[in-house]
Amino acid sequence: MHRVVLHCFIICLVSLIFLQTAQAHGGVVDEGDLCVIKVNYLRAHFKIYQPRVTGHEQFCEDLPVASESVFVMEYLHDSLSTMPIEFRIIRDVTGKGRFARLEDVENIDDIESATVFYQPPILEPDVYTVIHEFVEEGDFIGIVSARNLETGKVYAAVFPFEVGFTGWGYWPLFVGLLVLLQIQYLAMSGRLRRWFSKSSTTMAAVAICLLLLPPATFAADFVVTYSTPSGKPQINRMHSWILHIENESGAVVEGAIIDVTGGMPEHNHGLPTKPRITQELGGGDYKLEGMRFHMSGYWEIVVNITTETGKSTVIIALRI
Amino acid sequence: MKTVINAVAAVLAVAVISFMLWRTPPPAWTDAEITVLRSLWLESLSALPAAPGNAVADSPAAALFGQKLFFDTRMSANGSISCATCHQPERRFTDGLQKGQAIGTSKRNTPSIVGTAHSPWLYWDGRRDSQWSQALSPLEDSSEHATDRTRVVRLIAQDENYRATYESLFGALPELAKADEPAVNTVFANVGKSIAAFERTIMPTTSRFDRFVAAVADGDVEAQALLFTDDEKWGLRIFIGAGNCTQCHNGPLFTNNEFHNTGVISFSGEVPDKGRVVGIKQLLTNEFNCLGQYSDDANQQCAELIFARTGVELIGAFRTPSLRNLEHTAPFMHKGQIATIAAVLRHYNEAPDAMIGHNEAQPLGLSARELRQLEAFLKTLAAPVARLPAMIGGD
Repeated sequence: MHRVVLHCFIICLVSLIFLQTAQAHGGVVDEGDLCVIKVNYLRAHFKIYQPRVTGHEQFCEDLPVASESVFVMEYLHDSLSTMPIEFRIIRDVTGKGRFARLEDVENIDDIESATVFYQPPILEPDVYTVIHEFVEEGDFIGIVSARNLETGKVYAAVFPFEVGFTGWGYWPLFVGLLVLLQIQYLAMSGRLRRWFSKSSTTMAAVAICLLLLPPATFAADFVVTYSTPSGKPQINRMHSWILHIENESGAVVEGAIIDVTGGMPEHNHGLPTKPRITQELGGGDYKLEGMRFHMSGYWEIVVNITTETGKSTVIIALRI
Repeated sequence: MKTVINAVAAVLAVAVISFMLWRTPPPAWTDAEITVLRSLWLESLSALPAAPGNAVADSPAAALFGQKLFFDTRMSANGSISCATCHQPERRFTDGLQKGQAIGTSKRNTPSIVGTAHSPWLYWDGRRDSQWSQALSPLEDSSEHATDRTRVVRLIAQDENYRATYESLFGALPELAKADEPAVNTVFANVGKSIAAFERTIMPTTSRFDRFVAAVADGDVEAQALLFTDDEKWGLRIFIGAGNCTQCHNGPLFTNNEFHNTGVISFSGEVPDKGRVVGIKQLLTNEFNCLGQYSDDANQQCAELIFARTGVELIGAFRTPSLRNLEHTAPFMHKGQIATIAAVLRHYNEAPDAMIGHNEAQPLGLSARELRQLEAFLKTLAAPVARLPAMIGGD
């Protein structure tokens, strides 16, 4: 039984590693299919391309080779379009690697000599892009700062990244460790040879592992209503929604995990933003921020709701 | 032995059936398809739209004057560049280069002039809204003609023929020494209006495709078979069907003249081009736009300009180019990023994510054979460029 449990542990661990997609450090966060830079409260969709080497492939931070690199910020917060943005890339002289933070950068005495690219503050109302050709591989830190023209306040974000990134990260370490654990266990139990003839052990491990995984959710009926505190949604205007969720018997649903997508089915495109629930307001109300419609016409907002008791998708149809 | 014979027979049967399927001629056109084909037919092209902003738009004398100006290299900083340097008539008014080469290197690929009288927008980003105001910009662009309006006005004043023609069309030239800015601008605008009167007459002519549609419209199956191969017919079917091409490339000029982001990759060494989102802002502040004081449109209707779309959905969007004479206007896209028709089709088949903004196109999932058929069809759009019959007398 011991053996089965250990197998199960290892398999679960491996699957966890496979499933792990989100990682966060610096000012750039990989949110699954969307990479976001957070300049204080200001957010922008962030992506890097190496068009001469990898074409349309997007990178969130680390870049495969030293090559022409295009950095793109698509604003998720309208304020950024009215703020001059400064962009600097320095060699990592902090010694902190990917744990470098804004304070570390601020403590650098001679930032100019470490700078490999500098774009002075510039107002880019639509989308921010800079291009830099890396001539050598290594560790770098990107520094993005935006100045509020009215208050004079400067917001900054740093994102350490590697050029010549192998794409392996911590993987070899994990995998190596697991292999070692397994071999050691098998060797200690003295049943290395027998293990091969007994695939049933592994089967049992998988079965138990499946039992240990979160229970499968089943479809549940939810009723979603929405309101827009700032009035009827205006085109090209970032605004918030309040989603109100009740179950089929009319009781409010609290503590739900809600994921919102949407788009124009007739035009085959999605929302221009990636809205998300920023706050649970209580009483079945959830604050949905980052809503923006960029075309008039028929839109569908897809609300995926997961609770302890069930999972469901509700589609809100509206015409803008 | 029997098994061997059976196997050979089976293989042969499969081969014959595959070959027959391979060679299957396309089915007859449905009524809905014929309606689409007619909409693409050059015969369906409307009469030249009025150009209320240009009082001499339809004057043969102005067109002839404009033609001379179009080929006049004196309208440049070094006396070697004319409009025809990039807009070469023998290349369907393009230049075969990724980016125009004049005094310097232009920012984008040289678009064709053919049929642009029908477009409310000029340039890849639509930063001008008339042929006449477009014609002025390259003259003062430091990488194109690199001259300026004062020097252009001086040329008109000093060349006897030009002066006489100008004055017969627009009245007396102002005295340069005393001319204020609006007076210089007026003469400069009139130069653009003359060039536009010439450009307005440049139109595509009947292509093999148009003759094919005529045969379809007549129900002449024999003529259809002579005009189009099966591959070209299949290609046309994909063009109006599974290829989604007519979403943007519609009408007799194969363009909706609107702006779309199709995820074309950035030009080497440059950030991605922002396209229309910037172009519309430039147009709204241009002194020679439809609402400006140099436009002859007294009523200032200018609906296109007044109701123009702005905003983020125009990031990375460029004007749909005509597909007529496609094979003679390579390389393709706003910076000539794509060299061949086959590569353009592969691009649309994949529809990669746009570097900025979002790609409006969806992956098509067409097979290599279908892409070849589509290419075969596109080549049937070739035809010489002509000037409208009205102009022949003016020459």
